[in-house]
Amino acid sequence: MLSNIGNFLLFLNILLSCLAIYFSVSCLKTTNDLVLKKIYQTSLLQCTTILISFFTLVAAFIISDFSVINVYENSHSQKPLFYKISGTWGNHEGSLLLWVIILTVFSYLFLILNKNHPKNYRLYTLVIQNLLILGFLIFILFNSNPFSFVSPLPNEGLGLNPILQDPALAIHPPLLYVGFVGSSIYFSAAMASMITNYSDKLFAKSIKTWVLISWSFQTLGILVGSIWAYYELGWGGFWFWDPVENASLLPWFAMTALLHSLLVLEKRNALYFWTIILCLLTFILSVTGTFLVRSGILNSVHTFANDPTRGIYILMYLSLMILASVYILFTRYKPASIEINSNSKETFVLVNNWFMMFYLITVLLGTLYPIFTDAMTNNKISVGPPFYNSVIIPVVVLFLFFMAIGPNVKWIKNKFINFKIYLLIFLAAVLLNFIIFSFFKSYSVISNLIVISSLFLIFSSIFDIFKKSSYNFPRVISHLSFGFLILFIGLNHNFSIEKDFNLKVGETKQIDNFKFYLKDLKLTQDTNYKTITGQLKVNDLFTKEERILKPEIRIYDNPKTLTYEASIQSNFLRDYYLSMSNIDRSEYYNIKFQKKPLMIWIWISVATLSLGGFLSLIRHAKYN
Amino acid sequence: MKIRILYFIFFLNITISVSSNEALNESQIHKNLRCLVCQGQSIADSNSEFAQTLKMVVKDLIKQGKTEDEIYSFLSDKYGDWILYKPKFNYENFFLWSFPYIVLVFGGLIVFFLIKKQQKKT
Repeated sequence: MLSNIGNFLLFLNILLSCLAIYFSVSCLKTTNDLVLKKIYQTSLLQCTTILISFFTLVAAFIISDFSVINVYENSHSQKPLFYKISGTWGNHEGSLLLWVIILTVFSYLFLILNKNHPKNYRLYTLVIQNLLILGFLIFILFNSNPFSFVSPLPNEGLGLNPILQDPALAIHPPLLYVGFVGSSIYFSAAMASMITNYSDKLFAKSIKTWVLISWSFQTLGILVGSIWAYYELGWGGFWFWDPVENASLLPWFAMTALLHSLLVLEKRNALYFWTIILCLLTFILSVTGTFLVRSGILNSVHTFANDPTRGIYILMYLSLMILASVYILFTRYKPASIEINSNSKETFVLVNNWFMMFYLITVLLGTLYPIFTDAMTNNKISVGPPFYNSVIIPVVVLFLFFMAIGPNVKWIKNKFINFKIYLLIFLAAVLLNFIIFSFFKSYSVISNLIVISSLFLIFSSIFDIFKKSSYNFPRVISHLSFGFLILFIGLNHNFSIEKDFNLKVGETKQIDNFKFYLKDLKLTQDTNYKTITGQLKVNDLFTKEERILKPEIRIYDNPKTLTYEASIQSNFLRDYYLSMSNIDRSEYYNIKFQKKPLMIWIWISVATLSLGGFLSLIRHAKYN
Repeated sequence: MKIRILYFIFFLNITISVSSNEALNESQIHKNLRCLVCQGQSIADSNSEFAQTLKMVVKDLIKQGKTEDEIYSFLSDKYGDWILYKPKFNYENFFLWSFPYIVLVFGGLIVFFLIKKQQKKT
């Protein structure tokens, strides 16, 4: 039953989408500046039906209707209700439905919230957005249909991968999708803007809201994803430069560049085509990321169940998108005279974009390079964290200095910035860095530089707050947070303590100043899994601290899987992190222990970084 | 005067940094080796038997007095370059290592000339 409703609603959505395109195209020819009422209605109806079809799927998950293929493959009647619901978007098909919802809802909101912009610009945006929607609907219906009927009716579902049964991972996909699927709306708007020659400051104003929304959500999505990786993957790292993580980072770089170049377009009416390119690039990278993740051509920790036909479809979709956007870009391109003075804000926005492009290309190259070498020379190589760290980190140092100075320069023209103040700030940063490093006795050139440059950014941002009578609060918050983020990552990386060893019950082991004792193991039965909980006493012989950590090994029944739950004790100064895993045919357990300073502050910095985006959104709404 | 303080502090930082030439860091090596039977994990992160064995091999190689690079080339001869997370700097990977910097330099030149051109006009 639910399977039929779902299929019907998907078909209906295809029809409505075609209808919206048809109405919009016919409305383009009318001379008055009014968008026909039926276009609003169609668009609203699209939103309603796609939401209903999504809730149909949610309902199927809640009542465990295993005649629906998606429920059968990803759920189980014994699963807690919360994870039944989150299971809806925790898989390929269901998440595609979430994609289409965001495409559709953003399309409608853009239409109704931009009433003071020209009719044709809005209509073209709607048409292009609907073409994107159609592409995805067809993909869902003919290749990845969550509503396909299973016959005969199975008694029980296959269950959801236990590591996905987690609160952070329940909210991670929606956040991330609002981010990178949300970028579709300014892809469409950029195309429409080129077609209708709507290229002034007002265009920048019309998309700014959407850029801010997608950027803020993307940032949050990445944050939640790395928190999840930190406690669930069980290795104590939070960023692995894994292809799937890179796929979420690439659009983020493009968005960040766009966010800044948009300022120049808005304030100075310059850099129009560059801004357009960034708009197009952001969504293209989002789809590229989806392609890489879903087609399974990359080896990653976060694997989706994959299937080559999906890859081919998304690749076709992607190529069409790129061809269309490149074609329109070339036919509409006019070389514009750019008025940029050195030492003006425009220059620094360009500098920001320059660095963002560097990060973007480095990460893109690193992600794709193994595919090329494999195809060309049959030699499989890995590009992992050491590559990214050694290429990117030295450049970040330079970037942070520019980032500190940039915002204090005026638009158009400026006398040379107050050199003395920066020298003082620099001195303070170097001094504090020296104190930190001599206190903790751990040194490396690059960590010193990272700490100095991030302190430089932090001090100068704080200085802004006290010195200037009027400053852009959201900007200060985001820049300050970014400075803190790099600082905390630098300190955390440099002063983390890691121990990796094997231990059996009743055994004591001392490594450097830490003493470990595995007291005992307890077996308990939970609703849908068994747990082995270890009791580990950790003594720090320097600080005389003693704590008990309780790592778990969980044995899930449906599907049969082992997961390792780390025991984490965190406070504002440091995290104690301990995970335990069994070793085959041995009574020993492998223990990974880490003491990670300032861990929680890394999360807080990213959260406030994204908060800056939301505040800027409010500010933008207030003044426009 | 300020400049002199600056030099002093900077010099202090550098000397401290250089003086700390640590011995071979085992876990650093583990992080650079891919666990071949896992999905995108290094042997430092993995619990698999393969990772356990490889850790012992690394320990052995360090005992034999091999340098970090020698350990890497020993393992990549045996398992292929797939095992190294830090790609070798060789002919094949030249593009990978150099292209980011080419982008960095060119991007800088573009920004520089855009501004330069503008200043001539005004």
